[in-house]
Amino acid sequence: MTALGNTRLAFIETLIELAEQDPKTVLVCADSVLVVKGRQFAQKYPDRFIDVGIAEQNAVNCAAGMAACGLIPYVATYAGFLTMRACEQIRTFVAYPGLNVKLIGANGGISAGEREGVTHQFFEDLGILRAIPGITIVVPADDTQVRLAARAIHKIHGPAYVRIGSGRDPRVDGREIPFELGKIRILAEHGKDLTLFTNGFVVNRALKAAERLAQEGIRAVVADVHTLKPLDKEGIITLLKQTGAAVTIEDHNIIGGLGSAIAECSVEDCPVPIQRIGLPDCFPRSGLPDPLLDYYHIGINDIVEAARAVVRKKKI
Amino acid sequence: MQNRIKELEEIARQIRIDILTMIYKAGDGHPGASLSVTDLLTALYFEVMNIDPANPQKPDRDRFILSKGHACPALYAALARRGFFSRDELPRLRSLDSMLQGHPDMNKTPGIDSTSGSLGNGISIGLGMVLAARLTGYDYYTYVITGDGELQEGVVWEAATAAAKYKAGRLIVLVDNNGLQSSGPVEEVSGLYPILPKWEAFGWHCQEIDGHRFEQILPALQKARDCTDRPSLILAHTVKGQGVPFMIGDNSWHKRVPTTEEYQQAMHILGGPCS
Repeated sequence: MTALGNTRLAFIETLIELAEQDPKTVLVCADSVLVVKGRQFAQKYPDRFIDVGIAEQNAVNCAAGMAACGLIPYVATYAGFLTMRACEQIRTFVAYPGLNVKLIGANGGISAGEREGVTHQFFEDLGILRAIPGITIVVPADDTQVRLAARAIHKIHGPAYVRIGSGRDPRVDGREIPFELGKIRILAEHGKDLTLFTNGFVVNRALKAAERLAQEGIRAVVADVHTLKPLDKEGIITLLKQTGAAVTIEDHNIIGGLGSAIAECSVEDCPVPIQRIGLPDCFPRSGLPDPLLDYYHIGINDIVEAARAVVRKKKI
Repeated sequence: MQNRIKELEEIARQIRIDILTMIYKAGDGHPGASLSVTDLLTALYFEVMNIDPANPQKPDRDRFILSKGHACPALYAALARRGFFSRDELPRLRSLDSMLQGHPDMNKTPGIDSTSGSLGNGISIGLGMVLAARLTGYDYYTYVITGDGELQEGVVWEAATAAAKYKAGRLIVLVDNNGLQSSGPVEEVSGLYPILPKWEAFGWHCQEIDGHRFEQILPALQKARDCTDRPSLILAHTVKGQGVPFMIGDNSWHKRVPTTEEYQQAMHILGGPCS
């Protein structure tokens, strides 16, 4: 049984820790203080807590104005309202001037949608932000990685986005490997038959699929691509060369996210058979996380089948 | 006071010459709106704002955001005349290697406090600057010039409510109320009017002035600065194309480059060199 962590709490606890060390740290909410568990922050640092109301565009613009005056604002709300409602503000007033605004998006992926349905399931955030120049994008796998990611993006100057979940987010089973921004991390290495590239709250599925594949003699490397931008091209190409086939597993539309990033990387520098697993470009239904992921073919069986297929293609 | 107003009128005349010369030589730009904001910008940059061209980033400076970024030829001319950079840059507007982008870029042009050009966003960015001042211990003012047309953007009203909540007294918004937007008169394109009662209802300190008369602009700005417990809005009635009669009332000058004949005619009217 997979243990659950709380990525929302992990973020806010880390932000409080950062605020203790750095007086420039500000939390900006759009009536999202409960969503991101921000009460603790607001009580401890009332002056550094700004809530503009249900107004994401204004939240991002206010953050841009604050960053232009030397502060480090964290705009934290639902991933989709942030990256879609305030998309142009992020693009033109944060990313274009390279301002030091941090963006924290909750309910990242269909599995983190709290059974709310499409309006609160966000599976386009990464593709949208990846198409905008200059934004560091991190997709942590669990609460521990959220803590590490938040500390890492605070240290760099410039726009960054960290995806968080519903607050009931699966912990990566039995592993805690150092996090380095911009570098893939190898989570498992059964052999060199193919690479399973994954990130976010579906990492456990990739790990379990790799174990099942090993039992039938297909030996996979499992690589966590937590930093989607800047992409660790060198690390990815090394694995593509070593294994000659890949499957990507993500909780995002298969267009624009991890699958696209790996495919782009491969096609330019090391073409190999690849299959992408993710939401198959459709609007999902409400549902509990695990059945929902299975329903949309982001299941362990789907990963195993995709792995068999790419390994077969490799041999042709 | 009267002498100073004469001096400001003279500066505004020179800025208008620079605007038209820059657009004529660059072969691109928005003359109509640039001419309607000229007097407001002149008042801010040559009389009101605490700024230092030798140190454009000084932390306690007053901030300025041209929310209607397409009027940037006026801002560029004002910054150059004020000494932020050489006037030789002006005709290079919009060219590939120029510091003067098609719309304001805070990283490429000295003296620009905020990137702008996508309409409606300046007030909320300005609010962020005012909130930052409180946290960083400065008491600078943040001035925003917005068009009337761009008040149709929803984010404007998001900022209006948030600025009222935060009693952002050091946020001063000037509306360049020239009555025209890209596709025609504001009153035909939208249901925006009346403007002032809306801002009054949002809890802002509101004034209404003639945006081309320094006798009205300067006292209004002083009153806005004196009101520090709530944000201020000055509805400045202006004329698109002000200073060049043949451009007034003809909205094709929203974005249009004068022919040589038109340019010379404008220079003749403004008393500029007919080069």
